[in-house]
Amino acid sequence: MDLLGIALAILGAAMAAGWAGAGSAIGVGIAGESGAGVMTEDPGKFGLVLLLQALPGTQGIYGLLIAFFAILKVGLLGGGAEISVNVWQGLAIFFACLPIAVGGYFSAIAQGKTSAACIQMIAKRPEETGKAVILPAMVETYAVLSLLMSIILLNGIKL
Amino acid sequence: MAVAKIAKAEFYIHKSDVDGVLSALQNTGSYEVVPFSSDDESEGPVITHPDFSRVDFLLGETRFLLRFLEPHFVDPISGMARSMGEKEVFSLHQTRDLDSRTDIPALAEDIRKLERRLMEIRSESSQIDSTEILLLSLKNFPYPLELLSTGTEHVRGILGTIPAEQVEPWRRGAESLLGTMGEVYVAPGAEKEKERTVALFFDEAVSQKASELNARHSFNRIEIPPGLQSGVSDELALLGKRRIALAAEEKEILGKSAEAAALWVPTVRALSDYYSVLRDRYSALGSGNATDQVVMLRGWIPESALPEVQKALSVHDSSIELVLSEPGPDDNVPSFIVNPPWCLPFENLTRLYGAPKYGEIDPTPLLAPFFFIFFGMCLGDAGYGLIMIGFFVWFLRKFKRMPTSFRGFFNLFVLSGVSTVVVGALTGSWFGDLVDAFGIFSFLRPLKNSLIILNPMEDPMTFLGLSLALGVVQLLFGLGIAFYDALRKKNYMGAFADTGGWIVFLVGLLLWGGCAGGFLSTGTEPLAKTLTIAGAVILLATQGREKTGFLSKAVSGLLSLYGVTSYLGDVLSYSRLLALGLATSAVGVIINMLAGLAGDIPFIGWILALLLIIGGHIFSIAVNVLGAFVHSLRLQYVEFFSKFYTGGGRVFAPLTYKTSYVSIKKEPVE
Repeated sequence: MDLLGIALAILGAAMAAGWAGAGSAIGVGIAGESGAGVMTEDPGKFGLVLLLQALPGTQGIYGLLIAFFAILKVGLLGGGAEISVNVWQGLAIFFACLPIAVGGYFSAIAQGKTSAACIQMIAKRPEETGKAVILPAMVETYAVLSLLMSIILLNGIKL
Repeated sequence: MAVAKIAKAEFYIHKSDVDGVLSALQNTGSYEVVPFSSDDESEGPVITHPDFSRVDFLLGETRFLLRFLEPHFVDPISGMARSMGEKEVFSLHQTRDLDSRTDIPALAEDIRKLERRLMEIRSESSQIDSTEILLLSLKNFPYPLELLSTGTEHVRGILGTIPAEQVEPWRRGAESLLGTMGEVYVAPGAEKEKERTVALFFDEAVSQKASELNARHSFNRIEIPPGLQSGVSDELALLGKRRIALAAEEKEILGKSAEAAALWVPTVRALSDYYSVLRDRYSALGSGNATDQVVMLRGWIPESALPEVQKALSVHDSSIELVLSEPGPDDNVPSFIVNPPWCLPFENLTRLYGAPKYGEIDPTPLLAPFFFIFFGMCLGDAGYGLIMIGFFVWFLRKFKRMPTSFRGFFNLFVLSGVSTVVVGALTGSWFGDLVDAFGIFSFLRPLKNSLIILNPMEDPMTFLGLSLALGVVQLLFGLGIAFYDALRKKNYMGAFADTGGWIVFLVGLLLWGGCAGGFLSTGTEPLAKTLTIAGAVILLATQGREKTGFLSKAVSGLLSLYGVTSYLGDVLSYSRLLALGLATSAVGVIINMLAGLAGDIPFIGWILALLLIIGGHIFSIAVNVLGAFVHSLRLQYVEFFSKFYTGGGRVFAPLTYKTSYVSIKKEPVE
């Protein structure tokens, strides 16, 4: 078994979970700050604020998902049979993890800012929650596309 | 389609019967009154109902009462149930009865007394607190406080603080200034304290000099309340007694408030709603116009509600005249949306975006099937779908009188759950791979496997193709609606050149792509090429038609073909159906795997596994339902609506019984 191949695959998984998670943490944090401000005026908006704050959190889940896919692929989970991964295959897995790592990180931050702005919007116009939920979802599209590409790439790697 | 026809309705009502007519109209809940525009030349005097000021005043009083009493009220119906429509039902007769039996102003007066006394007690308590702190700092003060607060005939005393390093110079200054005519007191204090409490006693005759001395040593005076007369410890004891008395009185008042709340809150709530109903009615009158004998009202009635309104008004026939007309092009007509029951739950989605304008297409029935399928594909787990159905059906059964908009949403989620179960069963996802992951479910495997037609985890490309195909279908459907809409409005250029051109061009491109990819027989290739070229020619020829000059027309036409990229982007956007569907199943698989790993831990493993499965799947449902909802909605709003729908209409807002605490039932029209 080529250890460098495995190591590269793990690096990919770590980047996917780590960077996408970090982006979500920043995004949810930005939205939360805005939400706390709104709730000092009207604590009754907790439900709506929480909903909007949660939106930038999905990138972290996507990243985790790809990380699991990657380590499942090289047989590190579930105690299955050992799979031999050569350096090129490991590198391929590493590259396949990049879309969600990069896309997840930046889109989560951008989505956090949009969520924060939308939280301000529902502070004044709670009846427009529908629109306020859609605007952050526009940003998330690109995280979903990154996720999709990572899945397709991982799926395409033959071991 | 489903934006109902509305008639412009003008009422001319004899003044003697205005009340009856208005209450009948309010009871039907089908007439929206609009104010006469200010530049109207038939502007008459503003009419105010004689009862308006009384009702307005009483409404204010009931709001005060509820603000004060509600925190003391133990509601037998929880706030949650209340917002789900569990309210007491009254008829207008009952509330009118209550109104005549209840003396709201007197009650408000009583309650105001309680409130005022409570405030006095609280301010006195806080005063006592600060005095007590002051007295504790003077614990060793040897003289009666009378010297400091009021003074005797000749002697004045002032208390204050000065910086610690000033104490000695100040004492010396005071002794040389006053000699035997005064006395200095310095409270004992720790070495490190920056400020010391001191007092100076002096004959009234030298008060001027004493103040100058104090000013030189940065003396900061502390006022002693004039009520303090005897020694410090006596005063402290008195304060303690007073505090106990106040606490007892406060408790008594709170008890009375709770009693009053239990006795009055239900009544006052009903009355508050009754007054606000009356106020709405009188405000409607205020938007009317009047002559000496006649009041004119202008507004809107949905045509479907006309017979009911006319029937309700039949008893007033002799004193009213109703003039109906078609809405004109300049009128700001409200939209009254009517939908068949099967797509009612989806109406909320249209409302979230913005109601259709009057005369426009209502997209509700058009988006309903797509949303239904998309939600199922995004969530795509039969187990999660079953839990959604169970949860929301239980809610719907528990709260039978839920307001319509809530009911719509809950029904929407039940339907979405159904679609999720179907998609989940067809793709073999039940709580992720719970059935395959744990041996105890092995008896379910044949059943599960018999339903599967496609497993997206193993064959994501087919599922992706399906998602994109659905996207193409919805986009072409949207263009088709735009085509129909333009025809309906007799905008033939818009129909055939704009949307028609695109439909032909896109269908041609798709067929061409199908041939090139080998999915279609080569026989269709000539047709595909013809359609593509025909569509392109139509667009080239027409898209620059607003420009002048041949060259700029041609360039605009050519540039418009670039719009094909936006269609490409739209179609690719539907790939989220695959991505989110996969994400749900994968999260489920991961949870099961973690539970499986935890299960290997000796002794407590099975508990951990169970906790992980339950907690993990609940988390997964919450996150993925939110995602599925938002993304299926976005596909409607961004990709689908952009083809034909703008929204921006005003929802029909009739004069009706708008209440916040109780519900007032409509009276049947005989």
